[in-house]
Amino acid sequence: MSDKNKKIPYDEDNYTHNINRNNERKLDRRGFMKTLVGAAGVFAVSSLPWGTLAAKELMGLGDKEYKHKKITDVKSIAIGDAVDFAFPGEHDSAILIRLSENHYVAYQNACTHLRCPVFWDKKEEEMICPCHHGKFDVKTGTPIAGPPRRPLPEIQVKVDKGAVYAVRVKRYEA
Amino acid sequence: MKRSYVGVALLCAILMLNIIFTQYMVHQYFFENYKNTIIAAAVNVILFPVAIYIYKRDKKQDKGMKNHE
Repeated sequence: MSDKNKKIPYDEDNYTHNINRNNERKLDRRGFMKTLVGAAGVFAVSSLPWGTLAAKELMGLGDKEYKHKKITDVKSIAIGDAVDFAFPGEHDSAILIRLSENHYVAYQNACTHLRCPVFWDKKEEEMICPCHHGKFDVKTGTPIAGPPRRPLPEIQVKVDKGAVYAVRVKRYEA
Repeated sequence: MKRSYVGVALLCAILMLNIIFTQYMVHQYFFENYKNTIIAAAVNVILFPVAIYIYKRDKKQDKGMKNHE
């Protein structure tokens, strides 16, 4: 009587009655442990990029120093004047502004809104992007008006033997 | 058949540690303590083989118990 259901209906043509799906979706203890091990694996793999990035930072690759590049002679730039240059690549246009006798500031002058070139407005003492009238503070590079929301990347400069050199691009800090 | 839930508890503990170290790692990265970040990442990676070991050990014990039945 109990064997009634176990009987194979047609011995020679048994293609539709041979699938046993009882408890197919049941998560037993072993299956649960398997899931936990898998989760540990996911955690392990996902922590690899963080370790890599941290190692990169420790090795100082993030704060790379470029070859020093001469921008201009001190004699040829008057106080309050600006000069355009390119740093670190030949297409990374930048601007150097002499604010006082010994105070120079330099920024990569692609506007942080839509990358129009930013100009130095001597009269207003502001840096102005002509495209959408974005304005930047000349001392820090932070945006003070218009659409841009992020500061201009600052370039560290060094004065050596009557010439101004670009040293490195400061890291962007969020 | 009597089952041991020690393995399950251990794996749960490992998962908890994973969560803790992952959050610690991310936070330390943004606090720019890169050494701590690397340590936390290494712990996270090492916990994975430990979890596999616990699972395998449990499987072996299970088999042994079945043979006794």
